[in-house]
This record gives sequence, structure tokens and C-alpha cells, in this order.
Amino acid sequence: MSASTPKTLSSSGQKPIQEICHPLSAAEEAVVRTPSPDVANNTASIEDKDLSLPNGTPVDTSSPASSSSLLNRLQLDDDLDGETRDLFVTVDDPKKHVSTMETYITYRVSTKTSRVEFDLPEYSVRRRYQDFDWLRIKLEETQPTHLIPPLPEKFVVKGVVDRFSEEFVETRRRALDKFLKRVADHPVLSFNEHLNAFLSSKDLNKRAGLALLTKVGEGVKLVTGGYKLRLRPLEFAAMGEYLDTFTGKLGTIDRIAQRIIKEQTEYLAELREYGPVYGSWAGVEAGNRDNNAAVGVEEDRNHSSSGHHSNGNGLQAPLEGVAGGVASVAAAMEELTEDMSQDFLPVLREYVLYIDSMKNVLKKRDQVQAEYEAKLEAAALRREERTTVPSDVEKCQDRVECFNADLKADWERWQNNKRQDFRQLLTNMADSNITYYQKCLAAWESIIPLLQERPADSFGRGQDKVI
Amino acid sequence: MMADTGSEEVAVIGNTDLTPGEIENNIKNTMGEVGDEEIVLPKKMEINVAEAEKRTVKNAVNMQETYTVYLIETRPADDASEGTNPTPDSLWRRYSEFEILRSYFLVAYPHVVVPPLPEKRAEFVWHKLSADNMDPDFVERRRVGLENFLLRVASHPILASDNIFYSFLTEENGWKEAVLETGFQAKADSRLKALNATFRVKNPDKRFAEMKHYGDELQSVISQLLRVRARVADRLYGVYKVHGNYGRVFSEWSAIEKEMGDGLQSAGHHMDAYAASVDDILEEEEHYADQLKEYLFYTDALRAVCRKHELIQYELEAAATDLSTKKQQQEELATGTVRTFSLKGMTSKLFGQETPEVREGKMKVLEGQIQEGEEALKEKNTECDEFVRSAWSEIERFKDQKNHDLKEALISYAIMQISMCKKGIQVWTNAKECFNKM
Repeated sequence: MSASTPKTLSSSGQKPIQEICHPLSAAEEAVVRTPSPDVANNTASIEDKDLSLPNGTPVDTSSPASSSSLLNRLQLDDDLDGETRDLFVTVDDPKKHVSTMETYITYRVSTKTSRVEFDLPEYSVRRRYQDFDWLRIKLEETQPTHLIPPLPEKFVVKGVVDRFSEEFVETRRRALDKFLKRVADHPVLSFNEHLNAFLSSKDLNKRAGLALLTKVGEGVKLVTGGYKLRLRPLEFAAMGEYLDTFTGKLGTIDRIAQRIIKEQTEYLAELREYGPVYGSWAGVEAGNRDNNAAVGVEEDRNHSSSGHHSNGNGLQAPLEGVAGGVASVAAAMEELTEDMSQDFLPVLREYVLYIDSMKNVLKKRDQVQAEYEAKLEAAALRREERTTVPSDVEKCQDRVECFNADLKADWERWQNNKRQDFRQLLTNMADSNITYYQKCLAAWESIIPLLQERPADSFGRGQDKVI
Repeated sequence: MMADTGSEEVAVIGNTDLTPGEIENNIKNTMGEVGDEEIVLPKKMEINVAEAEKRTVKNAVNMQETYTVYLIETRPADDASEGTNPTPDSLWRRYSEFEILRSYFLVAYPHVVVPPLPEKRAEFVWHKLSADNMDPDFVERRRVGLENFLLRVASHPILASDNIFYSFLTEENGWKEAVLETGFQAKADSRLKALNATFRVKNPDKRFAEMKHYGDELQSVISQLLRVRARVADRLYGVYKVHGNYGRVFSEWSAIEKEMGDGLQSAGHHMDAYAASVDDILEEEEHYADQLKEYLFYTDALRAVCRKHELIQYELEAAATDLSTKKQQQEELATGTVRTFSLKGMTSKLFGQETPEVREGKMKVLEGQIQEGEEALKEKNTECDEFVRSAWSEIERFKDQKNHDLKEALISYAIMQISMCKKGIQVWTNAKECFNKM
């Protein structure tokens, strides 16, 4: 790969990447430590360059917008280091808007940043789903070699779900928040001008309109690749395999979680019938006691004959206590199932979308490589006189290598995010269950003293019956 | 798996020493002839249903019959023999023999709320429990139930000193003959008939009526409780067991992960443990259900005592009515007036008065009958009073026992739930630690 490559990176059928005067280009050293250990399989050619990443991938300084030219701020370890972040975004405060044409929900998008690309240090705008969709499309267009995080589904397939229900809106808000955060945390995507516009512009409407048209074009681009891939490098093949297996496991977990929710719901239904029976029984005992009192039978003399918690009869209070305990368990179980439905399942499902995005990027990479191989072959057949490789083939090779580098970096980031996301998800699941049992424990423990209340001993009957 | 002797429950019953008067009373209470042998009344006995075994024999019609027998061990439990721990006496009994013993009690002591036997067939099952009588778990629970029955009887002031009971515990052979000799079976049939008959009592003792009503309600509510509880158990089982699937999928998933692998794998094991823990939980709850069932079956005995009171009351009222009718007849005969319209009266009017001799004869007969009737009424009154007194004291005793036992059962149920919650917290906390290491 030659040291002087053209300013724009041409690619088949894609719009040229808009050049931005990037403050970080060229001036600074690329200080990178790639976390990926499997660098050995890097197929890009290693050549001496002024600027190159430690793993040997050439840094393309000519095109500021590609990751290789930037300060590639790969997140190093598990937890995102707060100190290196200078862009914070939040999606919250959903509100319903009723206009003449339609009803929709908008969300507040808040930004805090110290980056110079932004005019102000803080922004607060309102955006609707359409706008997020527009942003995503723009990102895919302008950063074809990168993994763009997915958005929640636009339309709800289930049909019965109310688009404006609290649960649905909240679930969606969380997904949108996650999307934006992932973009903002990405070392390349976060500098995208469209993101900037999304976060800062008061009015996105006009641009949003174009999104619908370009979306159609998007699909076509992938298909027109059409080249056959000779040999997929092992590491990318491994990625593909991993994604397939992982998808399967997620599907299984989803099914299990659904089944658990179903079983718990049925358990809940039975509990709701169970508790009141103890209450009825308490009533039977109370009725009996009253009758005995009415016919003047002397029962336990050492208690006051007042109200409900009189333990003269002995059974009424314990029965009501158990009824209460069961009711508490039912309430706690209801909350647990809600948690799982609201928090666990949606996040799990959204990951499938994330996997799909990754798979798409892998496909695109394959396409680019296939194109390169085809061109290389064609050039070889033409038996050109030049000793050097023709420029268009060179360009392809560049693209392949860039793509591979970007992809590997994104893959590592994706794996890291995945690890954190699932750690969070599963920990939350464990917490929900712990909370459930703690509530139940508290309820039963509070009942024990009630159950053990005794009248001042009237059991002097002398029967030691031990079972 | 047959009942394991390791888990035997030995109970020591304090059987009060019997005064000579009480001994006599007991003899009177038993039906018919007492055995020829000396009555050796136990002072204190340890009773234990230690084992259960299957037997297969050819029965009367030469067909193979399989049934279960239970080993009853008895041992005197004096303070003197405390240290020595002598080997127990033992014999084998089958369920049907227990049933005979109980039938005998019902006939011999109608004022006693006779303890119930464990159920003949498994009811209120949830799906995991087999409804098969030969199922080892069912047999084991029945063994415990039979032991419980014997302990209840042995701690009952009246039943414990019955000699038929004593020989049930000590004489393997000959017991059946002895009990049949009491002639209780004939009485059992007529008793059943009487209890099931419908009759109206004019002045029932309110307490018994209320107690019968209570018994009905208690039976209904406990049945309902047991039914729903079985369904709850079934559902709980489902919830726990499905979590076991997490164990498998986490294990598979960990295989394709690098850093996450260990955490996932360990968490999976905890999920397996969680799923497995429900078996013990539900087995303990089964014991609670058995305690409820005992009192469910007790309601029948309670109701029987109340019905017996009704019967006696009815007979008393019938005797009183009979007497007053006779007295009325006497009066009519004496005064020659017909108070109420009767066919006889009409006949007399139509066909003329009776001769003085015939009238004398009739008077004499009536006098005799009235005298008999008065004596009978007096007896019935005494019987009724006696019954009311002893039965009500029995009922009081039963009520106290019921309140005590069921309260204990409810407490132990709450404790079971607490234990289950603590286990749940433990497992999920362990899993959470594993997730944190991912």
C-alpha cells in the first residue's frame, strides 16, 4: 500500500465520505493498544509507514473519517473509563404529541460535551423514533465499515401491544438510550457529523424526509456486490460461527425465560386462590368461637374477648397470618414477573438485532474482499506491463484492509459491550429473584410472632401427646 | 423404598394410672365379654410403627393378593428401664386390621371423638405423587400415619386402657377373634344405619348442633385448602424445574465464550441446584398436608358424636312422647271422655261402652306400661345426661387438641416457607456472584 493515497476513499456504489476538517487528524500520534489477541491472522500487508498501529495495520491518514486515521480510542478494559469520555448523551422524558396528521411520542435527547465539534457544551432537543431511524441510516451510509448499533423494531409485530402504553414506551426509551450511548461511545461514530446534527439541531424534519428514500437504496447496495468470496480469513469465519451459535443460545434463553414467566403466572393465579381459603377458615373458627360464647361455654378464661386478634380460639390469628403471608408472596411474585417481562426479555431480544447488525457488517466485509479478489484476478489475467499493481486494485486492497481493521476493532468493542451487557442483564435477573425471596422472607418472618401468640396457659389438660 | 427404620419416631405416652373405679368403668365400656386372661393394663408404653413390607398370598379364592403389612413395636417405657433399652415386642398388622380396630372403637365408645386413620387411597395428589397404593412414598406416609393413629389412641384417657387395643398391640394371633367376639360388627351396622337416618329432634342441645355445623364447615374448608394447595405445589414445581434449563444452556454457551465462560458455567450449576431443591421443599410440605388431612378425617368422628347425641335425644323424646300418650290414654279411660277424636272413641260410641271388666283389664295393662315407660324415660334421661356430659368433655378435649395441633402445623408451615426463602436467596446470591465474574 503506497504512502500517498487519494483523499477520499472510493468504494463501489457508495457515496463519498464527506470530508470534515478533523482536528484530530494527522496531528496526533495514534496511541493505541488493541485488546485483541488474535491479531496474527491479520491479512493486511505490513509495510513501513510513518504511522501505523502496533498491530501492523496501516493507518490511512488521508481520509480523516476512517477509523484508521484517527486517534483510535479503543476502549481498553471492561469498564469504560469515565475520564476519557467527553460526550454524554441521555434519552428520557417521553411525551405524547398530538398533531393534525398523527399522534406520536417524542423523547428528550440531552447532551453534555466538551468537544470542540459542538458549539455549545449542552444541548437538549426532542426527537421521535423516525429521527433515530434517520440517524442510523446516515451512519450506515457514511460509516460503511463500522458496526452501527441497532434500533428497536419500528413496528410491533405482536399487534396487540399498545404503542402508547407506559411499558412499551419505557422499553423503547431504554433501547433508544442504549443505541445513542453506544454510538456516542464509539471512537469513530461519535464524531460523525450526522450525530452532531442529531444531537444539536433544533429541527431535523427536512432531513428526516430523505431518509425514507435512501433506505430503499441501502438495500440495493448490498446486493449489487455479487462477487464470490475465495477464502474467508479464519478469524472472520470464526466470528460468523460464533454469531450463529450465540444467536441460538440467546433464542434458547429467550424461550426459557418466557416459559418461566408463564409458569410463574400460573403459580400466581393459584396463590390468589390459596390465600383466601385460609381466610375463610379463619372465619369458620371465629364463627365457632362466637357460638360457643353465645351458649355460655367457658373457654379460655385468660384472654380478653375482643376482636380479631384475640387468640382465645387459637386458630383464627394464625390462619389470618398465613393468609396474609400467601398474599404477600403473590404480590412479590407479580412484581418479579413484571420485572422479567419488562426488563429482561426486551433487552435479550434487542441483542438479536445487534447480532444481525454484526452479521451484516461481516457480509459487507466479505463483499469487499470478494471484489478485491475478483479485480486482482482480472488484473493478473490481463497481464499488464506495469510492475506495480494497478491503482484500482490497490484501492480495493486498501478498502479490504481498512474494513478488516475497522471490523476487528468493532468486534472487540462489541464483545466487550456484550460481556458488560450480559453481566448487567443476568445480575439484574439475579437481583430481581433475590428481592422476591427477601420480600417473602420478611412477610413470613413478620407472621411468626402472631402465630406463636398463646393465651396465658389454659392447656392444663395433662395429655402429653408427642408426635 | 420402604420405610427406613432410621427415621422412626418413638413416642412416650404418659398414660395416667388407672384407679380401680376407672378400671371397672373401662370394663363396662367394652362390649360384651372380656378376654379370659388377666387384663394387663400398660402403665407406659412406647409405640412405634417401624417398618412396612409387602406380602403376597393366595387368598380365599385362590388368587394372588399383594398387600402391605406394618411392623408395630412396643416397649414398656418405665423410668426403671430407661437405661436398659430392652428389645421391643413386635408384630405385623395390615391396614384392614387397623380399620377393624377403629370400627370397634366407634361402636364401643360412641361419645369419643375417635382418631382417624390415614387415608385409604391417595387423594389431593399433585402430579408428581403417585396415586398408587403400592408407591413407596405413599406407603411411607401411611406408615407414619398409622403410627400417629396409635399414638393418638394411646394418649387418649379412655381408649388407651381398652384391652382390645392392648391385645392389638401385643397379640398377633387371636386378636381378630377377640374383637369379633365382642359382637361389635352387628352393632356397627345398626349404628351406621341410625347415624344415616333422618329424624327430627325437637330440643337438641344447641352446643352439639353448633359443633356439628362447625364440623361440616371445617371439613369443607380443609378439603378446599388441600385441593388448592396441591395445585400450588404443582405450579411451584414447574417454576423451579424450568430453571434447570438455564443450567444446560449456560453450560453450552460458556463453551463459545472466553472471559465469560467460567462465570456462566458456575452460574449454570447454581441454576441446576435451584431446580433440584424443590423436591425436598415439596416433600416437607406433604407432611404439612398430612397434618391437615388428619383433622379433615377427624371431622367425621366429630360429626358422629354429635349425631349420636341427636339419636339419644331423639330416643329420649320418643320415650317421653310415648309415656305421655299412655298417660293420656289412662286419663281417657278413667274419665270416659274422649279428648281427641279417635276411631276407637267413635267405635265405642257407636257400639256402646265397654264392660267394666274390660275397662279394668285395660287400665291394669296401661298402668304397667306407664310404669315401664316411666322407668324407661328415667333411664333414657340418665343415659342422655351421661352422654351429654361425657361427650361434651370429649369434644372440649378435642377442640383444645385441634387448636394446639393445627397451630403447630401452621407455625411449621411458616417456618418451611422461611427456609425456602432463605435457600432461594442463597442460590441466587451465588449465581449473582458468578454473573459478576463474567
